[in-house]
Amino acid sequence: MNAASLHRSAIALGGFAALAGAFFLLIGRGPIDMLVAIAQASVGSGYAVGESLLRATPILLCALATLVPARLGLVSVGAEGQLYFGALAGTGAMLLAPSSLPLVLLGGVIGGAVWALVPALLRVVADVNETISTLMLNYVAALLVTWLVYGPWKNPQSQGWPASIDFAEAARLPLLGESRVHAGLLMALVLGIALHLLFTRSRWGLVLDVLRSNPRLAPLAGLSVTRQVLLTMVVGGALAGLAGIAETSSVQGRLQASFANGAGLSGFLVAWLAGNRVLPAMVLALLVGGLLAAGDELQMMTSVPSSAVLVVQGLMFVAMLGAGAWKKGGASG
Amino acid sequence: MADTLLQGLPVSALRSAAPLLLVLLGECLTQRVGRINLGVEGQMLVGAVAGYGVTALSGQPWLGMAAGAAAGALLSAVYALLTVAARADQFASGLAVLMLGYGVSAYAGSGLVGLRIEGFALGAGGTTPTLWLAVALVPLIGLWLYGTRTGLVWRSVGESPAAARAAGITPWKVIVAGITAGGVLSGLGGAALSIDHTRTWAEGMTAGRGLIAVGLVIVARWNPWLTLPAALLFGLAEALSLRLQAAGSAVPAHLLHTLPYLASLAVFAVTCARLKGGGGPEALRAVFAR
Repeated sequence: MNAASLHRSAIALGGFAALAGAFFLLIGRGPIDMLVAIAQASVGSGYAVGESLLRATPILLCALATLVPARLGLVSVGAEGQLYFGALAGTGAMLLAPSSLPLVLLGGVIGGAVWALVPALLRVVADVNETISTLMLNYVAALLVTWLVYGPWKNPQSQGWPASIDFAEAARLPLLGESRVHAGLLMALVLGIALHLLFTRSRWGLVLDVLRSNPRLAPLAGLSVTRQVLLTMVVGGALAGLAGIAETSSVQGRLQASFANGAGLSGFLVAWLAGNRVLPAMVLALLVGGLLAAGDELQMMTSVPSSAVLVVQGLMFVAMLGAGAWKKGGASG
Repeated sequence: MADTLLQGLPVSALRSAAPLLLVLLGECLTQRVGRINLGVEGQMLVGAVAGYGVTALSGQPWLGMAAGAAAGALLSAVYALLTVAARADQFASGLAVLMLGYGVSAYAGSGLVGLRIEGFALGAGGTTPTLWLAVALVPLIGLWLYGTRTGLVWRSVGESPAAARAAGITPWKVIVAGITAGGVLSGLGGAALSIDHTRTWAEGMTAGRGLIAVGLVIVARWNPWLTLPAALLFGLAEALSLRLQAAGSAVPAHLLHTLPYLASLAVFAVTCARLKGGGGPEALRAVFAR
């Protein structure tokens, strides 16, 4: 970490503490007490660390899902929808082959990829801006899941609670040790490292860098922008789909409506704040995961509603964005 | 069945469209000065909760509308600070504002869930005051943007901040004004939704309307006059999906609710294919160019 980014992190942290502190004062809570309680609730015990890692897992995968197309210069905000469609397709695979974990995971990955292929095709065929199309498709995917768990896929034994049937033990993604953290975290870390190596060491990483900085160069160098748009979007979608099916087939063990909790949007901001680089995104995803896990905990310990932690999450992103540009502004005068 | 489906459909569609139309007009002005603000969704949410809360407390729906506008403007100031003062990325700043707005509205509205209010009295043919407000703003903003000197200044900043600066305009002031106008109108849109359209508050009740507005601005070609048909398209799809549901359609409700999103996306795709990226304010190209 060089001096400039250290400086920037200090500004972000200070800005965040000030904003969050002001918010806690506003709702009549002691700011120091609350910040200490948040820290405790996110890393204060083995259980707390586990919950933080659990929340961080889909956010990290969604951040990876965002930053792969972003390496080409695409602004995809579709991880949330791809996550839902991945969970949907993986659950579909489970209904067809009730005890095959590989098929379930494959279904999730393909589902996410298919949902990303739609905006990718719209982009290359009709020049449709992917930011807008992915945003709209997020709502469609979430509604499709809601329809299925209230309708055709509803478990008749669940007495009114909208959810699919439980995944059989053989189709469930294993948990790590005694915690609720699941193998999806390991997959996310391994995939993250692999992507980091691909981006920094491989020819593909170089191709993406060239195309991002100068798309007009592509035909001269014999590169196809179209192919890379499709490839990066599909790879991103597959990662978000994995996030969806991993959550569904492990902790929850069944498909439910609105289970993502905004992991897709958090993932987008994590990727963006990390400058679309993998390693900083890993660190940031853990940070955001810890903060959100603290929210659930705080509700029980201090009777502060978990929506207050959503506010704190928003303030954290605002502080980071503000601080990130601070340095840029300083450099250019 | 066809009768119950179509009777009074234009008014229903307009009523569904009115909150979106307000947001659409606001985002149209914001994009005119060269910013794409995804935070309008969050601004709409704080507008909805502030408008609803104030109406419930005071019994004055117009006071609620004013509170909604103020809340939207206040939150848009965060976006202005991030993108203008700190020069942060537009999309990321918008999403941060969206999250902040979601959190703030959920926190502030936790006591309002399930509460119902009186709201506005219905006018002739089932029309509502916010419908008239939204529709009346279309020609007002259209005439202002294309017919006045200030309108010209705003458009020129959206085309080229550098050229505008050379002509003695201070671009950042105009950009902040455009973002604030978007904040006021999206706050009004949110308040119109909670006070007049649904007459209730629920967490996340805007359900992507703000984000749809961001896309529909492009369909409307950044022209305030064309925001009315663009918003009507969404309103029509929503009104139809509700009516089909009430008429006992064989298509399940949740699937019908995808209709407004799919219809907006379809028209957006067709517009994009025809425009091929052209037709908008020149400064926006820098955002989309790659």
